[in-house]
Amino acid sequence: MAREPMREQELEATLTDLGERLAYPQPTRLAAAVRARLNEPRPRHWWEAVRSPRYAFAPAVATLVLILVVSLAAMPAAADLFLRLRGIDIFRTTATPSVPAASPAVPFPGERVSLDQARARAPFLRAPADARLGAPDQVYIDQTQAGDRVTLVYVSRPAIPVSRDAGVSAVVVVFRAQIDESLFAKVGAAGTRIEEVTVNGGRGFWLEGTPHQFFYRDPAGNPSPETLRLAGNTLLWEQSGVTFRLEAQLARDDALHIATTFR
Amino acid sequence: MEGRPTEDAALVERSRNGDQDAYAELVTRYQAIAARTAYVITGTAADAEDVAQDAFVKAYYALDRFRPGAPFRPWLLRIVANEAINRRKAAGRRPTVGLSVVEDRASGDTALSPEASALARERRELVLDALRQMREEDRLVITYRYFFDLSEIEMADALGVARGTVKSRLSRAMARLRAVMEGGQLHGA
Repeated sequence: MAREPMREQELEATLTDLGERLAYPQPTRLAAAVRARLNEPRPRHWWEAVRSPRYAFAPAVATLVLILVVSLAAMPAAADLFLRLRGIDIFRTTATPSVPAASPAVPFPGERVSLDQARARAPFLRAPADARLGAPDQVYIDQTQAGDRVTLVYVSRPAIPVSRDAGVSAVVVVFRAQIDESLFAKVGAAGTRIEEVTVNGGRGFWLEGTPHQFFYRDPAGNPSPETLRLAGNTLLWEQSGVTFRLEAQLARDDALHIATTFR
Repeated sequence: MEGRPTEDAALVERSRNGDQDAYAELVTRYQAIAARTAYVITGTAADAEDVAQDAFVKAYYALDRFRPGAPFRPWLLRIVANEAINRRKAAGRRPTVGLSVVEDRASGDTALSPEASALARERRELVLDALRQMREEDRLVITYRYFFDLSEIEMADALGVARGTVKSRLSRAMARLRAVMEGGQLHGA
């Protein structure tokens, strides 16, 4: 039996030899098993009561948590309301978190680019092709966060009043983020109404009223504020793993129509 | 076990957009190397298949973080390796790992004399025994180099290190392999 240490070459040859002989598993049906896992319903949160229908799976959707702050005087002892777009949870809370005062109009996040550049860098981007909006006046792309985000800004449009807070008529935000890694909480004042709608064959939400702040909520439950945008109506929907947000003082059906023009 | 970068890029892009058929194709392409990587770390076929499945699921969710055009295979292997190592840690690391060979394969040895054959087999046992006792990270880098024959660039990606670090990682792993082997010989003497 050889007792002296192997020479380097012998060791390497033995390793290579060994590599060819290991009793590796030889999976053949992994693709089917993976697909089945991907189509399982997502784990539920405790506050859910509505079963969401199953959707075709799409990668990395931002989980949106909308917390509507309702003034205690107006609020009866209400159960939590929740609506479920896959990856987006909306619930109403009776608690009033202490929200910081709305900041004045802040710059949009990211790097200013052209729409073509944004499309090149964010292939998931779709933009509205409706005459009321036309081409965006400013485009920002933010790739510093976990998910890429593109913001389209429409400074002033005849059909759409300019928001006092943000100084623009409309903002479109298109983003991909990682599942379970960022939750967005939109804090609204009393009187904000949520309606489930169908957008491009998928589910969406129409938020009417004066919501005025966005928060990110990390998986640990800690909220951090997002840049303020408009205070106005918002249409929110998800398609093929991308979440879209159209903020503008538009009537619901106008917003819905604009959503159908995204490409 | 070659990667196919250009075709992969198209499949990855389609997968990012929710095309499950495209992702199924990627899984099929890389299930073997994923399972092998997982096997080398966990030591059992059952764990390896579980790990590979978990890794493919996680990779799908993580496609947003994947740089379009980057090579898919080493990125995937990083995820598999992390998953496998985490599983080992969660199970409470046992000092040795399963890992076995299929010893009755005739290939390569038919040209050897019985003595040379026996020597080769003995060396394999020695090295395998030492591999079983090594840290997963060391076993991994040796696997990538000697079992999968990955290039230095691909190893760097798969290990998540700078290219220059690969050589030193490998030489340290080999040094530790030798140390275990030589220690083992003393005990077995």
